[in-house]
Order: sequence, then structure tokens, then C-alpha cells
Amino acid sequence: MRSSVSRRPMIGRRVWHFVSFGGPGTAVYLCFVLAPILISLGYSLTNYNPFRDETHFVGLDNYRVLLTDEEFLTSLRVTGILTAIVVIVPNVAGLAIAALLDRQSWFFSSLRTVFFVPVVLSSVVVSVIWTRLLDNDGLINQTLRAIGVDEPPGWLSDPDYALYSLGGILSWQMLGFCVVIYLAGLQHIPQELLEAAAIDGAGPVRRFWRITWPLLAPALTINTVILLISAFKVFDHVQIITRGGPGSGTTATIAYNVLQTGFVANRQGFASAMAILMLVIIAALSGVALRLLQRREVDL
Amino acid sequence: MRKVLALLVATVFAVPLYVAVVNVFKDGPQISKSPASLPIPPTLDNIRSALGRSDRLFWVSLTNSLIVTSLSIAVLTVLSAMLGHYLARTRGRWTRALTLLLLSGLMIPPQVILMPVTQVLRAVGLMTTVPGLVLFNVGYYVPFGVFVFTGFVRAIPVELEESAALDGAGRGQTFWRIVFPLMRPATASVLIFLGVWIWNDFIDPLVILGPSQGTTVTTGIYRSIGQYQVDFGAMFAMMFLATLPVLIFFLLLQRHFVKGLTGGATKG
Repeated sequence: MRSSVSRRPMIGRRVWHFVSFGGPGTAVYLCFVLAPILISLGYSLTNYNPFRDETHFVGLDNYRVLLTDEEFLTSLRVTGILTAIVVIVPNVAGLAIAALLDRQSWFFSSLRTVFFVPVVLSSVVVSVIWTRLLDNDGLINQTLRAIGVDEPPGWLSDPDYALYSLGGILSWQMLGFCVVIYLAGLQHIPQELLEAAAIDGAGPVRRFWRITWPLLAPALTINTVILLISAFKVFDHVQIITRGGPGSGTTATIAYNVLQTGFVANRQGFASAMAILMLVIIAALSGVALRLLQRREVDL
Repeated sequence: MRKVLALLVATVFAVPLYVAVVNVFKDGPQISKSPASLPIPPTLDNIRSALGRSDRLFWVSLTNSLIVTSLSIAVLTVLSAMLGHYLARTRGRWTRALTLLLLSGLMIPPQVILMPVTQVLRAVGLMTTVPGLVLFNVGYYVPFGVFVFTGFVRAIPVELEESAALDGAGRGQTFWRIVFPLMRPATASVLIFLGVWIWNDFIDPLVILGPSQGTTVTTGIYRSIGQYQVDFGAMFAMMFLATLPVLIFFLLLQRHFVKGLTGGATKG
């Protein structure tokens, strides 16, 4: 029983250590992230609307309705296409540009900075700039007309183009991120390895696929996961550039619909169910992506 | 050859940035007629009109953004450095569970929690206030800070802390006098990343500060889009002025930015 006497202050000290060092951060996280998720989960089982009096428990009805809801399924498709564009384009273009810039000199490192500037710009600023450029008679269409295209597309006003324009804008903004990560990856590849392969007679294509590409696996992992997550929660660009249009829902992503349904239509129960589904999908996607991609990673 | 190609690609890529900057110094008709031409002669009218609006939108937004960003990153650095240190130095089931719980926060889209967050804030009387937005920022970005700091603390030899403890320093003293100064690179990347993200944030200030209350620079630009339908020059000027602080911040600290980005990312 002596041990319990000496353990008590020990436990007290441990608790105090947690409270003083871990407590404040954990508490804020609990109040503003974890509790809200639980509240959302709770609302998703009701028909809650702050401007109506009655709130009923409706079980899984919201989820059942969502899975057959035309609007939701459209937003799922829109988000899917947008995510695919944003994961593929900056990854491919970023690797190409990184390979181009892979030299140590002030010239190439200042070009790297140019590519990185959009990453630190606000999505609001990026959206406004591109809205002006892609307007029916903005710079891009003025240029197209000048070189003889009589009827250039309505990049943002034509339902067939708007989603791809949005994907292009997002890709432009994220490109620099991929460039920087790939550059770091390239600079960590030992030159001796490439030289040895060259001496053994491997051409540039073979050297790339056999050495460079496998050793870039960690860079590909981080880029893909970051792009996946940021594409999936795109809201700002949609809100400012297209507001879900043109037409009905041609660019309405899930993230956009959650806020529309929750804050504009005030159907918070329904919106919460949508938000929870969104969270589940994003967790599943990034989990799968992480697992698949990390399997490729090799240690030197 | 490589240089020419690289320069060409970068030039095409930078056209939107160029257009945004030159149009700050042109008048309205010039902007819509020839958006890509150089501003000759340059005019400062747009900047003057953005700065001199009667509702002081720019100044109010700038002040709010500065307050929200600096308060948020100051609190975030302190709390996540301490929490990160705690998690890196303590073993056990609870620690692991808490780490996992925090890391899962890295991928939570703000849309999922914004609606209930407004209710939490309303319950404590902080909805539509700057402290409310700061608290939300702290909660939302603490996982990122913890992620950076725990990784970094693991690289600091624990013996340093043990010997300080033997010399009679308390936990707080050891942390602030010895560990925290050693974590400067981690602190730099946390400050820079979160500074840029919070400055650029749009949806959270829009919802939390509310429709009529304070604006930050991003929500200020958003609200002026409607009013500036006719006056693009003034809108470009407003965007230019709002972006300048973060751009300067980034250019000054870009070495740290890139280091912070690639240090953890590629197992450098």
C-alpha cells in the first residue's frame, strides 16, 4: 500500500502536466472541431431548420433521400470531375516544370517563385482575376478573336465549359505547390545513381522510369493527397466565379451545396447529412490514396 | 535552350498576375478595351479611390485582417508548441488516441463544422466577433501546428530536457527556456503557413463575422464585387493592396516557407 501513497502525487503531476501543456489546445480543438462534428452528426438525423419550430428525429431518412437526390448526385459527379482534373493536371504539369527548373541558379529559383505566387494568393483574388480574364469579352476571348476565332466559347457562361474552366483555374493555383514538392524530390536523387545508369547504357527515358520516377514516390504521395483534399472542399472559387451555374448545378460541388442548403435554404438537418457524407468520402478517398501510394515508396 | 523554354512557360503562366497588376494603374475604359497593355500613362486614381472610400472599407478590412491573423497565429504557435511537445514526450494509450484524433482534423473540410460552430459561438456570446473568429481559427488549425511541432520535438534529444530538470528547472521553465528556442525552424513554418492561410481565408470570416459586422480583406473584396461592377480599376486596386502584405511576407520568408513545405513532405 505504500506504492499508492507515492503514486497519488505522481498521478496528480501527470494530470497537471496534461492540463498545463496539452489542455488548452485540446480544449479549443474539442469545442470548435470535435463537438461541432458530433452536433452535425446529431442534426443529420433530424429535420432541423432554425426558422421552423418543430424538430423531429427522422433517423437515416436524410441519408436515404440524399442517395437518390438528383441534385446531390449531380454535385457528387461535379466534385468528382473537378477533383480528377485538379489531381491530374497540377501533378503532371508540376513534374514537367520541376524537371525543367531542376538547376541550381538564381534564374531557375526565381522562376520557381513565379510559379509559387498563386499558391499564396487568396482564392478570392484568384477568382476575381480569372473571372475577368475568362469573361465573354475578357482578355482570352479578345485574343482568340484577334487570331481569327469568330465565336470563342463562353468559358464561364456555357454549361459545357464552366466546370473545366474552374478545374483549370484551380490547377493554375495549385501548380506551384506541386512544382516545389517535385523539385525537392528531384534534388534528393543521388546524381551517382543516374550517372551509373548512364554508363551502363540506360537512355534518358529509361533512367526516368527506372530511377527518377520510383524515387519521386513520396513527392507524388504528398501532392496527390493534398490536391485531393483541397479539390474536394473547393468552395470559394465556386461561390465567386459561377455560383453553381451556369444552368442548374453544373458547377455546384458538394462543399458548395452543403453551405447553400445549410445557410441559404436553412435546411440544416439535411445539410448536416450531406456534410457528414462528405467527410466520410474524403476520409475514405484519402485513406485509400495514401495506402496505395505509400506502397510504392522505397527507401534508398 | 532550357532557359528559354523555362522562361517561356513561366511567362505564359504569369499572364494573369501581370494583368492583375497592370490594371491597377489604368483607367476604366483602358481596362476593358486593352486589358493586357502596359499602363501608359500610369494612374494612381484607382489606389487613391480604394484608399479614400467614404466607408473606409479598405482600412477597416486591413485592420481586421491584421488583428485576426496576428492574434490567431500567436495563440496557435504557443498552444500547438506546448501540445505538440506534450504529445511527443508522453507515452501511452491516451496520448496515441489524442494524437490520432488531432491528426484526423487535418482533413476536415470547414463546411462540415461551420453550421454547428456558429451555434457554439452564439452560445458563448462570441458570434460575429473577432475573438470568436480567432478561437475558431485556433481550434481548426491546431492539428497542423501539432503535426509540425511533434515531428520536430522528436528530433530534439530528450537528454537536454532531463539535464535541465536535474538542475532544478520546472517543466514550464525547461520548455520555454530550452525547448522552445530550439524549435525556431518549426515555429517559423507554423507562423508562415498559418499566417498565409488565415490571411487568405474567406468562408470562415464571411460566416463568423457575419453579413454586416467586420470585414477582412478577402470578404471586403467579395462584398465590393457587386459595387465595383462598373469600376474594375478600383477593384483591382483593392485586391492589389490587400495582397501586398501577404506577398511581401512571403517573399521575405520564402526560404523558410519552402523549407517547411519540403522538410516534412519528402523525408528530406
